Amino acid sequence: MANIPTDLRYTAEHEYVKQTGDTAIVQVGITDYAQGELGDVVYVDLPKVGAALQRGAAFGTIEAVKAVSELYAPASGTVTEVNQALEGDPALVNRDPYGAGWMIKLRVKSPPELDALLSSDAYKKKIGQ
Amino acid sequence: MRLRLIEADGLSWKLLLEPHGRSGAENMALDAALLDRADCMGEAFLRLYRFDPPCLSLGRNEPTARYDRSAIARLALDVVRRPTGGCAVWHEHEVTYAVAAPIATFGGLREAYRAIHTRLSAALQSLGVDATLALARPRLPSPAFHRPGPCFATPVGGEVLVAGRKLVGSAQVRKRNAFLQHGSILLDGSQEIVSLVSRGSSVVSRETTLSSELRRHVSFDEVADAIVAAWDAGATSTPSLLDLAPLAAAVKS
Repeated sequence: MANIPTDLRYTAEHEYVKQTGDTAIVQVGITDYAQGELGDVVYVDLPKVGAALQRGAAFGTIEAVKAVSELYAPASGTVTEVNQALEGDPALVNRDPYGAGWMIKLRVKSPPELDALLSSDAYKKKIGQ
Repeated sequence: MRLRLIEADGLSWKLLLEPHGRSGAENMALDAALLDRADCMGEAFLRLYRFDPPCLSLGRNEPTARYDRSAIARLALDVVRRPTGGCAVWHEHEVTYAVAAPIATFGGLREAYRAIHTRLSAALQSLGVDATLALARPRLPSPAFHRPGPCFATPVGGEVLVAGRKLVGSAQVRKRNAFLQHGSILLDGSQEIVSLVSRGSSVVSRETTLSSELRRHVSFDEVADAIVAAWDAGATSTPSLLDLAPLAAAVKS
């Protein structure tokens, strides 16, 4: 059974949002369920720091089992940090999706947008868990 | 280009049977256009096609430094970047297939691989090939991905094998509402050219072909007919013919 922490928020497309020490900045990655479904991640393509993201728009791709899947922004905002470690070790997404396998940090343009994200219970329901 | 409609899987599959080959760039643009149609309009396509001239396709995220540009130029190879993942494929003697459909058609990544490859296996079995599917749990692709080598070097879960060797090499790209899976069903020849243009040590390809398995010449048309018959298995209506020239024209423009 996938690990779906109760203190995170989720998108229907399997991204998670985690609060950081700065209330305006969130950490974004894919869920434990998503990494399990994808299988061994071999490549993650992420935006550059400073990129402006639109909520719901694709911000990158992830490749696993010869399949390229799009990653979707959970909120509009500006990328403040990108996890460079994924370039050399993309399997971090498999080993530690909520920790070392994070993807981007995002300065959210309108924090109320985060309220529209799924709770852990709603996300669990969506994935049938 | 002409297409045929088949009712199956709860939707109308549009079967695109292409009598002539196209360049790598045109083929990939057409596949991408079908994915967009599936994503935006919920349509489902099965396209059977070939490459003319023969072409080397690279996976979407493969580093170009992996390949020797001067060797590619010397051999005057047509090269294209696929929208899908995986490693390099030499497209020469093959039936190439593309399936573009809503995500809900088959479900997740592995389910789609398995569903499509099950149909391809049925088609190949009807030709007399002892085709099986690789174990559901994929072998780790990372070593093969990080070393140059052909797509056919490493099977992943659900891919079509004959006596442990790959006969079909496939890859996917998934968007929010739809996916594209395309791949090569080898009629003859080899993937050796991938190793010839690779830098450094490459992974040894472990493919087989229909001609070597059946010990006879196998034509594009008979494989295409077998695949269409496998898709027809769930058909609930009489197929009809339509003209899809507008899509091809749009891709060319």
